[in-house]
Amino acid sequence: MSNYITEFEFLFREVLENEDIVLANETTAIDIDEWDSINHIYLVVEIEKHFNIKFSSSEILQWQNVGEMIDSVKAKKES
Amino acid sequence: MLFNSFEFFVFLPIVFVLYWFVLNKKLSIQNILLLLASYVFYGWWDIRFLSLIILSTILDYYVGQKIHNTEEPKKRKYWLWLSMGFNLGLLGFFKYFNFFIDSWISGFNSVGIEMDPFTLNIILPVGISFYTFQTMSYSLDIHKRKLTPTKDFVAFATFVAFFPQLVAGPIERASNLLPQFLRRRKFNFNIAADGLRQMLWGLFKKIIIADNCAPYVNEIFADYSNQSSGTLILGVIIFAFQIYADFSGYTDIAIGTARLFGFDFKRNFNFPYFSRNISEFWKKWHISLSSWLNDYLFTPLAIEFRNYRKHGIFTALFLTFLISGLWHGAGWNFIFWGGLHGLYYIPVIYSKKRFTSITTNKSTSKKEDFSFSDFPKIILTFLMVCLTYIFFRASTITDAFGYIKIIITEIPRWPAGVPYKSIFFIIIVMVTEWFQRGKEHGLQFNENSTVPVYLRWTIYLVLLLTILVFSGEQQEFIYFQF
Repeated sequence: MSNYITEFEFLFREVLENEDIVLANETTAIDIDEWDSINHIYLVVEIEKHFNIKFSSSEILQWQNVGEMIDSVKAKKES
Repeated sequence: MLFNSFEFFVFLPIVFVLYWFVLNKKLSIQNILLLLASYVFYGWWDIRFLSLIILSTILDYYVGQKIHNTEEPKKRKYWLWLSMGFNLGLLGFFKYFNFFIDSWISGFNSVGIEMDPFTLNIILPVGISFYTFQTMSYSLDIHKRKLTPTKDFVAFATFVAFFPQLVAGPIERASNLLPQFLRRRKFNFNIAADGLRQMLWGLFKKIIIADNCAPYVNEIFADYSNQSSGTLILGVIIFAFQIYADFSGYTDIAIGTARLFGFDFKRNFNFPYFSRNISEFWKKWHISLSSWLNDYLFTPLAIEFRNYRKHGIFTALFLTFLISGLWHGAGWNFIFWGGLHGLYYIPVIYSKKRFTSITTNKSTSKKEDFSFSDFPKIILTFLMVCLTYIFFRASTITDAFGYIKIIITEIPRWPAGVPYKSIFFIIIVMVTEWFQRGKEHGLQFNENSTVPVYLRWTIYLVLLLTILVFSGEQQEFIYFQF
């Protein structure tokens, strides 16, 4: 899990252009100023590209925090 | 029942006393009282349409349980669509039936196929756009597994029909409001007192500004072709303050009333006319609607179109604004109004690498830093919004273009019949709100405020006296028609 967090942190810092972002499983959009609804779409695109996976729309809409996003990636990469 | 009516000022203290002093022993009894009070409040306007609220409540309560208890994705979707179909069907019939039939027939007529006009005499049930959106968000959140449905029917029914926000919002989410019906509320003097102050500020804006501006604006828009361009420009600027005072005034009364009963509504306005760009404006104006549209329309669309990057995001945003226009009213002028706001985002989306969203739910209570160089941006944003108001306020899209044509083609002259009294009060309210922009409403004092008590009471009394002396003719709240 820790590896994923590090990779996510890298992607978040890139997309949201903020080097100070530190992620935890419980982190939500409320905790990060730059994480708004439009940047969320860019994050999804970057995560899909980085891990070479494709999420379904309903999967994306159910995420409530970073941990759930990582779970989705993990489920796809490790299945 | 209107907030600015005599009935409400009898109704509110009765419910307040029963709630805190007579029926305060049991939570369930308090909730039943609030439900009955809400039905009386709504039934006062038209008892027949109460049945629509009750029907929508029963259906969504049942559907919520069904979605939650079903694992099979297809069945979950089926139940969700039942809720969507019913609520959108209600809206479609009561709000849009005549508009669609009219547009359909004029479409045929324009290509030479003659069809007779056919419309029904349908009355729009007040608040329908608000409570249907509120119940739909309940089913949608359960479907997204972001919410667990309640088994307390009375709490759910009161969540749908709670009188402070039933007819014109704020459109509350179940995740914020429903749990408040399930736990005991405690009376907090400071919160209740601040609620009263917020109500006073809302009443002042509604009665002194909105009601006084209404006759001036009505006259100009009804007879725009005989007005000078100067009068037309002033007319739409005054309308901008009228609609702000009307709707934010309503919201202040709604939030203040809820606080009297120990409830906390989400913020709906955050001094929107001090915005420096259009995306900031939409984070501060009618926040409960824009965040609803953001979560349930823009985001799913943008996710669907995500591979088209900026084009995909712009398409999702433009469609969201068109729907927002249609939500406001069944007319092409409203759709055009929404479309224009959507177009305003072109530079925002295409000029920057990253940008901000149409809205966020993040708390913006801290006072933002403004510099003098921001004022031109504030004025430009306000004027852009004013341009869209011409479409919003005109009766038809043809009238709106006619209105703009006069402004563009005529040499401006000093406007006729300038409403100096209204302008004076507008300045008072805007200056007050400028200095109070870090707070939740124009009349809020910090807990450790140094403003002496006698000065506070002088302010309250002056506001009350002004309301009594300078009140305009009572007008319905503008957003009741949406």
